[in-house]
Amino acid sequence: MKKNQEKIKIHNIKKTFEGGNKVVALENLNININENEFAVILGPSGCGKSTLLYLLAGFEKPTSGKIYLDGKLIKKPSPNRGFVFQDFALYPWKTVLKNIAFGLELKGISKKDSANKSMDYIKMVGLEGFEHAYPHTLSGGMKQRVGIARALVYDPEVLLMDEPFGALDAQTRKQMQIELEKIWEKTKKTVVFVTHSVIEAAYLADKVFVMTARPGKVKGIVGVNLPRPRDYTDDNFLKVRGKILNLLESEVEKSMQQKQEIETT
Amino acid sequence: MFILPFIVVIPIWEIISQLELIAHLPPPSLIFSKFIFLAFEEGVLAQHLIGSVYRLLIGYILAVSFGIFLGTIVGLNKLISDTITPLLSLLISIPTIAWVPVLLITLGLGDETVIAAVFLGGFFAITYSVIHGIRTVNKNLINAGKIVGAGKYKLFESVLLPGSLVSLIPGLRLAIGYSWRALVGAEMLAAMVRWGVGKMIFTSRMSNVIETMFLGLLIIGIAGLLLDRLLLFIENKTVVKWGMVTEG
Repeated sequence: MKKNQEKIKIHNIKKTFEGGNKVVALENLNININENEFAVILGPSGCGKSTLLYLLAGFEKPTSGKIYLDGKLIKKPSPNRGFVFQDFALYPWKTVLKNIAFGLELKGISKKDSANKSMDYIKMVGLEGFEHAYPHTLSGGMKQRVGIARALVYDPEVLLMDEPFGALDAQTRKQMQIELEKIWEKTKKTVVFVTHSVIEAAYLADKVFVMTARPGKVKGIVGVNLPRPRDYTDDNFLKVRGKILNLLESEVEKSMQQKQEIETT
Repeated sequence: MFILPFIVVIPIWEIISQLELIAHLPPPSLIFSKFIFLAFEEGVLAQHLIGSVYRLLIGYILAVSFGIFLGTIVGLNKLISDTITPLLSLLISIPTIAWVPVLLITLGLGDETVIAAVFLGGFFAITYSVIHGIRTVNKNLINAGKIVGAGKYKLFESVLLPGSLVSLIPGLRLAIGYSWRALVGAEMLAAMVRWGVGKMIFTSRMSNVIETMFLGLLIIGIAGLLLDRLLLFIENKTVVKWGMVTEG
């Protein structure tokens, strides 16, 4: 296996948003992510972690700096990446099957083969029997299962996940973490996963990149070398959790101050 | 259930006009016998209807096509929007019927003028609804299409168009009403048009046959109602079924 081979290189990224008042979302951001690595980007809200993921996807362009995937500059969205959205972003007018098959059909794969392959992924995420349902009839957890299947079905190089379980209730969220871990063990994709949940990060990550408050840059990296699947109550797990929390805490305070400043000005 | 109001209204109307409580109001029974006469004995009613529906369809389809085209590019492009939107605001306030004299000179006294009026009647409502629809499509639905490799056309066909149906269908419903009104008005003014429901009403003014006029009014109303029901049906089979709006 090609372990420790650099997959994604984020180099000196700066991203500012013009508007009423200029906001510097990311600055001096450097991250390297290895092949087959489960990388979690963790940070206080408003630190630009989702922005970073949108840059990786090519939905947005950096103000300066460069991002490379397999040594090639990322310029625009392309199916060598899969994206899982916080708000699911499923097409309400497509059934579960059609939502998943869309990417395959765009690749020019026949309707029948697309449907067959999509069914495999529907089974993988445990949605058998719901292939002809429309998204609005599904629960949040089921919607995100579709979201994950849709992003994996066309076999992208990298899976980008933007707080994918952020809109789910605590129970479902835990369940989804466990299942995502299983899926990842099977597919061993390079994953970039954005979250503000420390437990989620500790449960899923090979490496946690803790971000600073705005403008976001990397404050510290925590490697998580615990065997999988991990135990939420295990001592070593709690230690890792504590380590991440320590890194994060001062930044959360800073982020709260920033918010208050915005609210009072 | 839209039969119900008629069951209530028709008998009351019959009594009012039989008692001559309102001058010149023909009773429904007389209008109905006029309908039988024109539809089956003289057989001209079908010709009037076909004439109107033909013009309506052509004008409306043109309005839908151009409306979707213009609405899409205005909805997607800031520069085009800045250029076109003030023009649209200016034009939308001009009543369609006010265009007809101009059209009579430029396009002549026949079908073309009526079709153009139908087009102008529906075009603006459709364009506005498409602009609004395109702008309110969730950005991440577009992103989700881009990341799986959807090009410009595929994004339009598979994401933007279905995504803006929530707004487009009410626009289509408004537009068909406006188009239908414009059609009837323009038929009355276009001298070369022989057949049409509007024409039927207008020519019965010459012969003072008031029940024919009322028959015309009823046909216009009922046709409008049926067209609206058709679009409502489409709405139920699309955006309602997809959970994007609740059933109306």
